[in-house]
Amino acid sequence: MRTVLKKILTAMRGGVNELGEAVVDGQGNRILEQELRDAEQELKQAKQELASLMAEAASLARQIRTEQDSASKRESDARKALAAGQEELAREVAERIVGHERRTAELTQTRELLQQRIAGLKERVQRAEKQLADYRRELQVVKTNERVLRTTAQIDTNINSNQSSLSTAKDTLERIRERQAREEDRQTASATLEKELTGADLDEKLKAAGIDGDEDSVNDVLARLKGNPAQ
Amino acid sequence: MDTQSLTLALGDATHAGRTFDVLPVAGDEPVLQVTVSGAEETPVYVTVTDTQILCLAYLFDKQELNPEQLNDLHENMLRISVPMPLSALGKTGDHYVVYGALAPTSGTAEIMQELVTLAENAIDLLQTFEDYLA
Repeated sequence: MRTVLKKILTAMRGGVNELGEAVVDGQGNRILEQELRDAEQELKQAKQELASLMAEAASLARQIRTEQDSASKRESDARKALAAGQEELAREVAERIVGHERRTAELTQTRELLQQRIAGLKERVQRAEKQLADYRRELQVVKTNERVLRTTAQIDTNINSNQSSLSTAKDTLERIRERQAREEDRQTASATLEKELTGADLDEKLKAAGIDGDEDSVNDVLARLKGNPAQ
Repeated sequence: MDTQSLTLALGDATHAGRTFDVLPVAGDEPVLQVTVSGAEETPVYVTVTDTQILCLAYLFDKQELNPEQLNDLHENMLRISVPMPLSALGKTGDHYVVYGALAPTSGTAEIMQELVTLAENAIDLLQTFEDYLA
């Protein structure tokens, strides 16, 4: 990622891309896309392998359980034979038990090796997934950068050349100020109109002349109270 | 969301009391010029890629700025960029821009919110940085 960002900055600051040409050259882009495809392929293979190894481990676990079950079943058979005084038969059963135990040990060893391989493969899958995310992020940066350059170049050619939409900041500020002044005038006008309609303008004029309805009522009440203190 | 469906969606929509005037910009890339009512001076340009919907408005060009105050301006732009709602400041070519990026899964309401905010931010920024113009 760092390399891609540095390449973009170098190219931009050098003014290489004023016309919106690709920053990381087409070749670089293709290499990145190839790396992305390789990482995807690697991930796919690793996942397939992982799935088959896990299936194998599960099958081994099943076989181990079967051997163990058989061994414990044969053990109870052997005990029964011994209890019935059938020494010869018990020995024969014991031989079977030895077979089951040996296969259990062998299968367990195979399974342990398999589990080590699974752990290693899981790590590989994780690495590949991380790498893939990195490549995708890089490619996204490169592509977005190209798109922004092409887009702005397109805006500049189309709009700047035939109208004043992309005018200078000073012109734009002037137009903003004009609109804001117009809006302010409209607001003042509608506020004035509102006052006229509600009679608020008259109240204001009366107040300015020292004639305040509310204040007068309060004074009247006070005068009344003072005039009749006993009540 | 692609530029065509966006054109249709914005055509007769209102958002927070604003209407939108949409004009496709001719060329190979699908680019829209969106004028937001009440902020007509700073049109917003919209382009849709696989990974994002990019909206940007132009502020000023490098040539319009007072060269001695560039460092100060850059410092202030970086600082103001963080708290500004839904927009960030940037530079493409010689243009200083204010922009916002949305997920391609964004709905019309989010996009309209972005457009209104961006157009208004562009006006506020122009007025804020007016003193840096040569």
